[in-house]
Amino acid sequence: MVQKHRPLTLAAVLGAALLLAGCASPWPRPSPGTNPNAAPAPVPAPAPSAPAPAPAPPAPPPSPRPLQPPRENHLSPATRSLVAQAHRLLAHGDIDGASSTLDRALRIEPSNPLLWIELGRVRLVESDAHQAEVCARKALALASGDHSAQAQAGRLLADALRAQGRNPEAQEIESRPYMH
Amino acid sequence: MVSGLAAIVLAAIAAIWAVHLDRVVTREFQGRLWSVPARVYAAPLDLYSGAPVSANDLEQELRRLHYRRGDPAAGPGIYRRIGNAFDIEARRVRFIDEQRDPERVSIHADNASITSMRLADGTDLPVFRLDPPVIGSLFPIHGEDRLIVAPADVPPLLREGIKLIEDRRFDEHHGVDFYGVLRASWADLRAGRVVQGGSTLTQQLVKNYFLSDEQTFGRKATEAVMAMRLEAHYSKEDILVAYLNEVYLGQDGSRAIHGFGLGSEYYFAKPLDELEPAELALLIGLVKGPSLYDPRRHPERALARRNLVLKEFAEAHLIDAAAAKRATAGPLGLRPPGGSYVPAYIDLVRRDLKRDYAEADLAAAGLSVYTSLDLRAQAAAERALTQNLQRLDLRAPVRGEHLEGAVIVVEPSSGDVVAVVGGREVDTSGFNRALDARRPIGSLVKPAVYLTALETGRYTAASLIDDAPIEVKLADGSVWAPQNFERTVNGQVPLARALAESMNLATVRLGLDVGLPKVAATLERLGLESSPTLNPSLLLGTVEMSPLEVVQVYTTLADGGFRTRLRAVRAVLDEHGRPLKTFKVQVEAAAPPAAVYQLDRMLMLVPTHGTARGAAARLPQGLVVAGKTGTSSDTRDSWFAGFTGNYLSVVWVGYDDNRDTGLTGAAGALPVWADTMASLKPVSFDPIVPDLVEDRWIGFDDGLETTPACSADAVVIGVPKDARLPANPKCVSAPHPASPHPTTGEKIKEWFKSIVH
Repeated sequence: MVQKHRPLTLAAVLGAALLLAGCASPWPRPSPGTNPNAAPAPVPAPAPSAPAPAPAPPAPPPSPRPLQPPRENHLSPATRSLVAQAHRLLAHGDIDGASSTLDRALRIEPSNPLLWIELGRVRLVESDAHQAEVCARKALALASGDHSAQAQAGRLLADALRAQGRNPEAQEIESRPYMH
Repeated sequence: MVSGLAAIVLAAIAAIWAVHLDRVVTREFQGRLWSVPARVYAAPLDLYSGAPVSANDLEQELRRLHYRRGDPAAGPGIYRRIGNAFDIEARRVRFIDEQRDPERVSIHADNASITSMRLADGTDLPVFRLDPPVIGSLFPIHGEDRLIVAPADVPPLLREGIKLIEDRRFDEHHGVDFYGVLRASWADLRAGRVVQGGSTLTQQLVKNYFLSDEQTFGRKATEAVMAMRLEAHYSKEDILVAYLNEVYLGQDGSRAIHGFGLGSEYYFAKPLDELEPAELALLIGLVKGPSLYDPRRHPERALARRNLVLKEFAEAHLIDAAAAKRATAGPLGLRPPGGSYVPAYIDLVRRDLKRDYAEADLAAAGLSVYTSLDLRAQAAAERALTQNLQRLDLRAPVRGEHLEGAVIVVEPSSGDVVAVVGGREVDTSGFNRALDARRPIGSLVKPAVYLTALETGRYTAASLIDDAPIEVKLADGSVWAPQNFERTVNGQVPLARALAESMNLATVRLGLDVGLPKVAATLERLGLESSPTLNPSLLLGTVEMSPLEVVQVYTTLADGGFRTRLRAVRAVLDEHGRPLKTFKVQVEAAAPPAAVYQLDRMLMLVPTHGTARGAAARLPQGLVVAGKTGTSSDTRDSWFAGFTGNYLSVVWVGYDDNRDTGLTGAAGALPVWADTMASLKPVSFDPIVPDLVEDRWIGFDDGLETTPACSADAVVIGVPKDARLPANPKCVSAPHPASPHPTTGEKIKEWFKSIVH
């Protein structure tokens, strides 16, 4: 398999380790069972005709899509088989073929961050670190609410940034809470 | 003596002339023999469990690809359908990324989608592509189009039949049939002018090369010499195949139909080797006079001609009497008109390719061009435009005036352009309004103003803005005093409502507050290629754009702030099927996803609460869409740009001479847009909420936070997490309790501190 993983430089690893050791995650960790993306917070609302409310009981959340359930992205059988095919083509050095096959998968699931991550990995193999970076940013945006996908997108983004010599930005990405 | 010299000189001149003609005609023949114009393919349809392709859709697609019903064991290109179960023997096909060998697949579908797919050995098939449909060629030479047929693909009946009808002594003569000439000359002499052809296939071929219908004796002598020279150099087989690929068979708008390969496609929508005797007889009969016997314009004449040819077939024992009788009794069997050729789309393909390829290579190098065209989307857009324009013409101030229009449909995340309609005459390649009509975009510009405001962080969709008269002093000293379309004044309104109802005064005030240069920069980030003039009227859309340019800008809004380069061509393959160039998805991060989400939430209110409310009646119930109407001054241009969860489309309607149409964006372009989208199996637009944003309810009129149970006009907007919104005291126990969680801004500050220390 040609899936290329760029070796982290020693300095970067040390830097990341220091960051990890030196500070606790700055973001409030979600307590178990709660979802950091739950939106909006239930707003206490009195029944329209009710008298002046004392401590109002939490009203049902107002939005039709109030709770973003923790999302988990996965590949469908169709896109999984296309990703496998893209990996096979890549193993034979057929970068354009792999790219076209992932195109096909993306037409089936255009909003699946995992596919954008795959495409970004191919871009890295063909030394197009800028496009790899944009694919990673897009994957990150689409992965909102899915820590596992965010972490994968974050790793791709860090690799793409390092490939452009932007190590401090890569370290910043690696220190984000979803990376742990 | 003198006459002897003259004879020698004349003979010398004749010899030089013959040598010259020899060179001219062989050069032309060589050139044509090896020149295969680029073939253009539409996108192949991908099938997988859950794909929105019903059993009937699948059969329609198979028929479009010329698959025949029958026993698939008999060979590729045949399928069997029992109920909703299909057995298909797929053909050998070249795709961009792989060559597929013939294979048997079993597909089950129901009334809505594909339910399962298996290979012959019973293994599960997760994904399967149908063949890419061929849609024609790029034909820059003289407006001629052809699909080249190889010698092996010429049906024997065509080979023999064309000789029988056009040139019985083809196998014996040397280019000119002197007996035939004598017979024809006798007829000409008696008539005193050229009335009979008597031309051999070789002479006809020569005549076709040099494009002249002139029937003079000098012309005919040149033709005869050239024909004999051709026969001296090339085999009968070469000449016959060249003839079959060259002969003129009809006219499709500005496109000339040449050769039996394309003729078969154009008249019957079938490959040549699948034609029945009656269909071949019709095409062969057409050679004598493609416009005289045009089966669409003169069906009775064409039928009589076809049956005459069939009778001759039978007399020469090319087919037996029973077959001839059956064929004679049958109808013409033409495919329905339209949908065969897409000049506006091909136009875009040609422009895309011109950047990378020489015209000569496209015309002759035998390239295969794989495009993003989706024939179903193209047909839907064409139908929506022509039907609505016919309806709108009836209410035009002056009867007999014809509105024009353009439609483009794209898949925003890949940038794939799936349909282009350049005008209401969809089959002809005239002025391509989708690409070339640059018109003021009117209120289509407004989302750029609101996005700029949201990006500053000083505004949310709930912020109030004054929709009240405003005067702007311009650089030349004059005063600009814009007005609302309905000349109303609405006072303090939330941004969400100002955009949904397309209020001019509020938008100008907002745009001037955030700054013209910033709005212009936003437009450029979104995809506008030229810098707009920094005049305040920019805020109301005096900037001129083509529908294609509008598509590029809105694609970025439909795709979370990521700008994807539009793409008509996915790849170009050489004559051996090797990829020469792949056009990859090219994406740029153009605007922050959090701001774009807030804007998209506002654009979703346009069809529910704003100027595009009329769309709902034409769309499936409950479908969530987003978009914006646009109307230029004096209602000269009617625009709509909008998107569902799977497609984005931009529609323009107006007159070519720029007159007042009396149509707003909602009255003219919106119905075309909605009808197009409704035919495309739309799914709801459902953007992913970015991490730093959340959905909240506000009153559409007052912008105060509320609940749907409490306010009838409650609408959902996106706001930065923990944004403090003024609350409707009757509905929400105001104000947002000092939250135990830090706000996003505080979190970011805190986090920076943690890095520093």
